[in-house]
Amino acid sequence: MRIDAAAYACRWQGVAPSAKALFALAGIASAWLASSAAMLGMLALLSVLATLAGARVPLRTYFAVALAPLGFLFFSCLTMLLTPAASGGWQWTPALLPAVAGIALRSLAVLAAVLGLVLTTPMPDLLRLLRRVRVPELLLDMMALCYRMVFVLRQAWEEGSTAQAARLGHSGWRQSWRSTGLLAGQMAVQVWQRASALQMAADARAWQGSLRFLPASFPYARRQAALALLAGTLMLALAAWDRVWS
Amino acid sequence: MVMTAMIELDAVTHTFADGSAGLGSCSLALAGGRRHALLGANGAGKTTLLQHLNGLLRPSTGQLRWRGHSYDYGRAGLSDLRSRVGLVFQNPDRQLFSALVEEDVSFGPLNLGLDDVTVRARVAGALDAVGLASFGRRPVHQLSFGQKKRVCIAGVMAMEPEVLLLDEPMAGLDASMQAELEALLDRLAARGVTIVLSTHDIDFAWRWADEIHMMAAGRCIASTPAQQLPLQLDALRAAGQRPPLALAMHAELVARDVLPAGAAPRSMDALLAMLRAQPAIELSGEIQL
Repeated sequence: MRIDAAAYACRWQGVAPSAKALFALAGIASAWLASSAAMLGMLALLSVLATLAGARVPLRTYFAVALAPLGFLFFSCLTMLLTPAASGGWQWTPALLPAVAGIALRSLAVLAAVLGLVLTTPMPDLLRLLRRVRVPELLLDMMALCYRMVFVLRQAWEEGSTAQAARLGHSGWRQSWRSTGLLAGQMAVQVWQRASALQMAADARAWQGSLRFLPASFPYARRQAALALLAGTLMLALAAWDRVWS
Repeated sequence: MVMTAMIELDAVTHTFADGSAGLGSCSLALAGGRRHALLGANGAGKTTLLQHLNGLLRPSTGQLRWRGHSYDYGRAGLSDLRSRVGLVFQNPDRQLFSALVEEDVSFGPLNLGLDDVTVRARVAGALDAVGLASFGRRPVHQLSFGQKKRVCIAGVMAMEPEVLLLDEPMAGLDASMQAELEALLDRLAARGVTIVLSTHDIDFAWRWADEIHMMAAGRCIASTPAQQLPLQLDALRAAGQRPPLALAMHAELVARDVLPAGAAPRSMDALLAMLRAQPAIELSGEIQL
């Protein structure tokens, strides 16, 4: 929900999604090209700054969203430092630290680029991008529906949970467990009922078998894409220079 | 004068899959270009009836007719029917499936096969008509209940149907929104759109409708032009409704010689206006018991 709210509220919401995608791709490609730790760190920083300062995504939101992947990265790095010992157990290998650090920094750079795209582009625009890249219609339709349904079901879940709490359904660990189980079962019914209702509503509007939506218009798409290409090329140039000279 | 019925139901019965009765030999004629109110208590079959009118449900027995021709339940026939008869459901969350407002409103016109330019114009026009002109790029899940309802109405209006069906449109709206919605429906009716809505609010039906159809237990027990409702009070009672407040007040005031006999006012505001137009009465001092 944080990602969604941030995407709609950021300064770059009206920027053509193709431009943002180009910049993110350039970020990912340059992270792949660069080799020295310093350059990777700088590339990550560039992406983060673009998101925080350029798109004005709130710092708190950024860190809240980045927390999960960062935690995952942290644990992965920890496990990478563990190697099998000759005696049959596991041992710490500090010698691997530079390599692991390099991997971690590369991951961070890619993460920053992807977050930059995801936190500044609302889901419908992302779906539009995917449509342009010729992702199958069926998949896109399902994604569009799921996106809408996530919010509807989340509200249904919260309402059900609140109603249960009002009747002391979450007053203890045991009750909480049981109440959640009951609610999960009820969600299955909700999903089925809502699916039927949506089908009926779609039929009532002369649904022809595929979800067709109006393409949005971004008036400055060309200019924005050119700017994105420029910035992306700069990043790639830095990364290439780094690879060649180190 | 025979008014050509746009939609007719002829002894329509509908039994649901679980065996419960929906409609029981319901017969109804809806004239074109008029404002119809389906009046009935919960469970009377109003929603079931509305869903028959645009072909979502098929009758177990009986027939529905569009301008004298029997309903065609084939794919093309249903598509054609639904492009002319639009239905706005009661719960907005069960009919909005796009992420953005303008996307959802564009769904109907795109299904009709219209080109992009026309669709954009229709979407803009429909959003403007419901007062959400600047809401096009907003996500649906950030809207309030009333706003979602208006998006649903815009979504159906963008298809420019000849008949607009609304299932309990006033439910959940505050007084000012109800007034706005009433004004919107009146504008549509002035343009020639036939409006059929279901309600259990007799005062609203009395104030707004041109024709009132009373339903009870799956049957339409009476249909009357609104002005002639005072002659159908028995049917009204059978439908589980009390007489409209303005009507009852007017009858009482006429009986007490406070107001002259005449056509009953259609709303409490009209009744108040009538009372204020009366010269002040001086009481003679006698109390008649």
